[in-house]
Amino acid sequence: MIDIKSVDFSYSRNTKLLSGLSLQLETGRIHGLLGKNGEGKSTLLKLISGLVFPQKGEIEVMGFLPQKRLPEMLQDIFFLPEELPQLSMNIENYEKVYAPFYPNFNSEQFNKFLKEFEIENKKSLLNKLSHGQKKKVMIAFGLATNTRLLLLDEPTNGLDIPSKGQFRRMVASGINEERCLVISTHQVHDLDSLIDNIIIMDGHEIVFNQSIENIAHKLLFRVSDRKETDDTVIYSEDTLRGLYQVCENKTATESKVDIELLFNAIFADKKRIKQLFQ
Amino acid sequence: MNTTFSFNRLVLMLKRFFIENRNKEIMSWGILILVFTLVHNSANAKILLYIMGFIFAAKQFKSFAYTPGGMHYLLIPSTHLEKLVTSILLSTVYFFTMFILTYSIGNVIGTNLYNLVFTQSTQVTWDFFNATDIQKFGGSFDFLPGGNAFLEMIVNFLIIQSTFMLGSIYFKRGALGKTMLSILAFYFVIGLIELFLLKVIFVDLTTLRGMNSFSFMTESSSILKIIGNGFKIFCYLLIPYFWTVTYFRLTEKQV
Repeated sequence: MIDIKSVDFSYSRNTKLLSGLSLQLETGRIHGLLGKNGEGKSTLLKLISGLVFPQKGEIEVMGFLPQKRLPEMLQDIFFLPEELPQLSMNIENYEKVYAPFYPNFNSEQFNKFLKEFEIENKKSLLNKLSHGQKKKVMIAFGLATNTRLLLLDEPTNGLDIPSKGQFRRMVASGINEERCLVISTHQVHDLDSLIDNIIIMDGHEIVFNQSIENIAHKLLFRVSDRKETDDTVIYSEDTLRGLYQVCENKTATESKVDIELLFNAIFADKKRIKQLFQ
Repeated sequence: MNTTFSFNRLVLMLKRFFIENRNKEIMSWGILILVFTLVHNSANAKILLYIMGFIFAAKQFKSFAYTPGGMHYLLIPSTHLEKLVTSILLSTVYFFTMFILTYSIGNVIGTNLYNLVFTQSTQVTWDFFNATDIQKFGGSFDFLPGGNAFLEMIVNFLIIQSTFMLGSIYFKRGALGKTMLSILAFYFVIGLIELFLLKVIFVDLTTLRGMNSFSFMTESSSILKIIGNGFKIFCYLLIPYFWTVTYFRLTEKQV
């Protein structure tokens, strides 16, 4: 679906944002793109959608060169940016104007998603809605386009607590074998039990790209006694609830992947994690 | 699927403009009718055409002023050519038609109201379309044979439109002001070059001052005619040239 080969990108001559970045993303999966601020997560999504062009290297999305921005490719991509555009029209007109550009758009689905987000009035003007409500409309629209590639940049920013749960349910119901979802976020807890592939960016490159199954197979996430420590422990975090640890899973024990803990473990001991997954 | 140009997608792009800007358009054209009602039978409508024309053209790619707006625009599934043609159609055919329509409505309403209030019987005049009108914008460029002022006005308008549309995509913010400044800077440089060349040719500037009232273009010399026609062709070519540059600028646009 997405093939990125040795891509270099920078906004200015002096500072390189992405250097020799390579990444392959498959369909039928929800990819979580994580990283600290300024690592280039949003830029990577922009590169995939053809909004910015690589200075070096190649990107292929569904067999197209994104920088050409051909309608065949664009009608199969929906990109929800973190900041939304100012649109002076109501929801009904937004659907009327933009839905025909997406051949697989499903109006019933759109209405259903809006209803789930408790947005009943389609006559509401988009620029009069709150940021969160506007985001809900865009998420609902994006899912209803049924594009093969859905790029979501910080989709849960601005959503209230019940809406985050609704968002997870909708996304989970919207994914199928032909679709590929890339979600860039800082709010790792919002994506808990949703994403099935974790991509971590650090130092302007991909330092980790593994499926949840593989992570659960190789790592053990546990809460243990403060005294308990052994050579399998890669990272531990002392909290009021106990000692949260990421360990090597030598006993093939099943545990739930804690994305935040994994993220911190990677930054604490990148070398060991890399070796473990090689 | 047509990868270069689809009429359906062009219609969708136009529909998008009209739905998104319906209220603004109704309001601005309504105000213009009011203006033409107040200043009916005016021969100076073409000045307003040029001013409004470059404002309208400079707003064609205003979505790029705000990054999410630019992203949203570039990701609309239509080709760059369709996006460009939409902007050209809107800032030429649509704008010009609406201008003429509002001028005509305002003129008729204004004249009739004037007659009603002041019990006069003034006729509606259509100076705007007057082919014998020799008033020309920006000097005395005789672009078209036969001196058809209306057609000449359209050519002038298209040159202005294409220049400001290019400015609209070239400058991220304040396209209108920056394009105007660029044009002024361009003319300033041309003026300096002209002055330099004349000084080189005539050496003494007093000779040059003495020639102020002398027009080279009134001479019937064939060389001057060739130069004049060459200049006309150059001006015509500016229109497609600026549109082409706008197209390439759009294809290379990154947000």
